[in-house]
Amino acid sequence: MDPITAIVLLIIAGILIVIAVHHIPVGGAPAAMAMATGVGTGTVQLATGAGLTGLVSAGYMYHFAGVDPYIVLLSGGIGSTLMIGITMLIGNVIYIFGVGVPPVSAKVKFDPITKDRQDIYVSPGTEGHGIPTVSFVSGIIGGFIGGVGGSLTYVVLNEVGINPAISAFIAIGFFIANAVIAAYNIAGTIEGFHDPKFKRLPKAILSSLIVSGFIAAVVIGGVFL
Amino acid sequence: MDINTGLGLVALMGAAATIAGAAEDLESDIGSQSNPNSQVQLAPQVGVLHRIFNKAISGEPPAYAFYSSIAATVAWILMSLNFNIFAAFAIGAFVASIFHGIYASTAHIGRIASARRYGQPIYLDVMLNHLPGIMSHGFVATFCVLVLSYVLHAYFEHPFPFVMLAFIWGITVGAIGSSTGDVHYGSEREFQNQPFGCGLNAAFSGKIVTKAEVGTRSNIDNAWFCAKFGGPATGITFGLIVFLDNWRSLLFTPEMSIVVGAVMIILLVVANRVLELWARKNYGPYPEKLALLEG
Repeated sequence: MDPITAIVLLIIAGILIVIAVHHIPVGGAPAAMAMATGVGTGTVQLATGAGLTGLVSAGYMYHFAGVDPYIVLLSGGIGSTLMIGITMLIGNVIYIFGVGVPPVSAKVKFDPITKDRQDIYVSPGTEGHGIPTVSFVSGIIGGFIGGVGGSLTYVVLNEVGINPAISAFIAIGFFIANAVIAAYNIAGTIEGFHDPKFKRLPKAILSSLIVSGFIAAVVIGGVFL
Repeated sequence: MDINTGLGLVALMGAAATIAGAAEDLESDIGSQSNPNSQVQLAPQVGVLHRIFNKAISGEPPAYAFYSSIAATVAWILMSLNFNIFAAFAIGAFVASIFHGIYASTAHIGRIASARRYGQPIYLDVMLNHLPGIMSHGFVATFCVLVLSYVLHAYFEHPFPFVMLAFIWGITVGAIGSSTGDVHYGSEREFQNQPFGCGLNAAFSGKIVTKAEVGTRSNIDNAWFCAKFGGPATGITFGLIVFLDNWRSLLFTPEMSIVVGAVMIILLVVANRVLELWARKNYGPYPEKLALLEG
């Protein structure tokens, strides 16, 4: 793979990662107390956990299955999506049966997908709780895009001749750098693509363009020079 | 490798992941790590003095990536010296638990000392009673992460090095523990004096329960409570992820494994919707809010 293509693909991977993180519903510490909608953890932590699960799937496919790169990317995307999907589902089981609250969004009056009314189910003094369908679907989309982005990073680094271990190491760092950009942009919490904070996405894409471009230039430049 | 052996190994990985997830969550409950820690830290500031262990070394994913990497590095060195694999894992996990204990002690004392101006004492017996529980649960979690990483590395010949696989699974188990089981501790156990299902008003922030079933509440009581639901739920989450992701890769062709994965994801969305409908029907809207909104 020639260096310019590699740099462009790494920038695309970085942009995919920031788009993904904007889709994943995280409520941070308030969500862990059922005071906000989303998964009760930090943005970077959850996105990285999902992205790296996809990276393990993609790494296996890339080296042993002898398949086209797009199958590797899809496999990484599916691996990440499974991680985030199962985590959100069991998270909801805990909200519903362990805490006794229904999943509900406080950012919209009606769920854009199911059209269910939301505001009358929001507990007083909270910003929603659990993971309603719209946030769940958003998380699934985010998991998939993030998995594809992480896998793309890994595949490109392998294609330019970096060994698998170092490629994975750089891919992890690259993923976290882009996830942190997104986390700053959404100030740590977001409900999903229906959240007004999602409109800040272009700023994150611009930041990712700069950061990913810099990292890509250093890494790919180091390989070819 | 024949398919039966492969399936057996995938099942072993799933079982190890289940135990790792449960132990990780209970360890974070004993130490009040991660997000529920914010309430423990806030409590003295709103006049609630407590005997709860308070450590927030870092987020759970980096913490467990750190412990797992230390354990895997030590185990790898010992294995290269022809140690028995399980002895190497045990010694590796033990070394990681020593690091864990050191970080837990300094984090607890540092954080509690920062609440001195609000009159919060440092109870040395709290630290001494909780450390063995924290270190032992950390040991179990790390040991199981090593088992599943080693199976992936040695039997499925995954291209990532053993230590890196342990690092990645450490991040994943931390992310899952922080996302699932901790909610049971943070939303329910810390505020158990509120009616079940009332929803936690932000005005209650920091007003955590300090009295136990008998005497003063400690995190040993909290782990006992969370072991009934939050801990096992975390274990099931991690076990399902490890099992299903590897099961589809092992049993099907690469193209079919993507289709099977997509079907699983659709089933997850449907299951979530069924749960949501059940909760809305059984818990219902807030009558006062409904009346207010509809005049």
